[in-house]
Amino acid sequence: MRLSIFVTLLLVPAFVPAQVPRAADGKPDLTGVWQGGSTRRGSWEEANSGNGVGGTGKDAKAPAALASTSRPPGREPPPYKPEAAKKVLESYNNRALDDPTAFCLPPGTPRTTLVGLFPMQIIQTPKQIIMLYEYMNVFRVIPLNAKHPDDMESSYMGDSVAHWEGDTLVVDVTGFNDKTWLIGTGTFHTEALHVTERYTRVDKDQINYDVVMEDPNVLTKPWPFHSTLMLREGTRLREYPCAENNLDPGRYEKLLKDGVNFRRQQ
Amino acid sequence: MLKRFWAALLLTALPVLAHHSFGAEYDVNKPITLTGVITKVEWTNPHSHFFMDVKDAKGAVVNWKFEGYPPNVLYRTGWKKEVTLKPGDTITVFAWRARDGTAWAHSREVTFQDGKKLFFGPPAGTGDGGDTPPVVVK
Repeated sequence: MRLSIFVTLLLVPAFVPAQVPRAADGKPDLTGVWQGGSTRRGSWEEANSGNGVGGTGKDAKAPAALASTSRPPGREPPPYKPEAAKKVLESYNNRALDDPTAFCLPPGTPRTTLVGLFPMQIIQTPKQIIMLYEYMNVFRVIPLNAKHPDDMESSYMGDSVAHWEGDTLVVDVTGFNDKTWLIGTGTFHTEALHVTERYTRVDKDQINYDVVMEDPNVLTKPWPFHSTLMLREGTRLREYPCAENNLDPGRYEKLLKDGVNFRRQQ
Repeated sequence: MLKRFWAALLLTALPVLAHHSFGAEYDVNKPITLTGVITKVEWTNPHSHFFMDVKDAKGAVVNWKFEGYPPNVLYRTGWKKEVTLKPGDTITVFAWRARDGTAWAHSREVTFQDGKKLFFGPPAGTGDGGDTPPVVVK
């Protein structure tokens, strides 16, 4: 009897994630197509079978990917100063009407990384890391072991430089404008925003994405946030020319003009 | 009067207008299921649309407009341009009506004549901030 249990245990394969692929220089290779805001392993189709945004509905119990205006449940809320928090709440009550992606503008960092509906692609070379995002078709070219340029102008995605700390890629992002949201509706910031991202590929399928956002003008303390990027083999980035037929600004203008009540609270 | 106040406040307070918000344009309390004949499909960004002739109770035909995912998302969720949905096809769609009360809605589930079902658009509430406020204001 005991022997049969022992044999059975031997025969039941425990899930063992495949090892982290390594580049020629020995660093973990982050190259691949990834989905942010997801915790599921597998192909895009397997991992997006739920009823949520971007899901096919084949498995009603499957978790939903993250929408571009949402923060995953249970995560630490942003530590806004009281006056700034009122402004954030106003955006929420206005149902994200002032979303800066209004005119199909770049969504900023880290928001772009966490959008679950659209994949991103990382291309790693010994001297620079390239990050391509399907959402709004934006990109980041991130030099390794470099300083931020002296002539840095404020930008939507910020200026990124990176270095390796052991097996973790640490990306320092600064030089932001104040026209993007961080994570969740209304999460505005100022040009003082400083973002530190840490990418750790823990196995073949998963990168742990730990980001810290600092903005002393509106946040009382650094805001840490943990998420994961999941490998999506067989998925390719597609075009997303958002400005092609963007009807919503005109519709919003009409709603406001007509005095249609869409607010959450009065 | 209050509505006008809010409208005026919003017009002055918002430097930019936005898209992607379900709740601003559509009413989650007005779900609708309609069956009709497709007249046009627009595979456009940031949102695709299809148009469908629907007969009302008196037999008059109304052309409805339905909004949904962009083409990249439709392809990843099982749709193919000019194959899955074509003018002349009869389908049933579950949707939520626009707040302005016109023949316009946010589509969700499309049921084809062979019984197959696909989502043309995301769930209600997508893009308008979710169920939980991002901050706690005391």
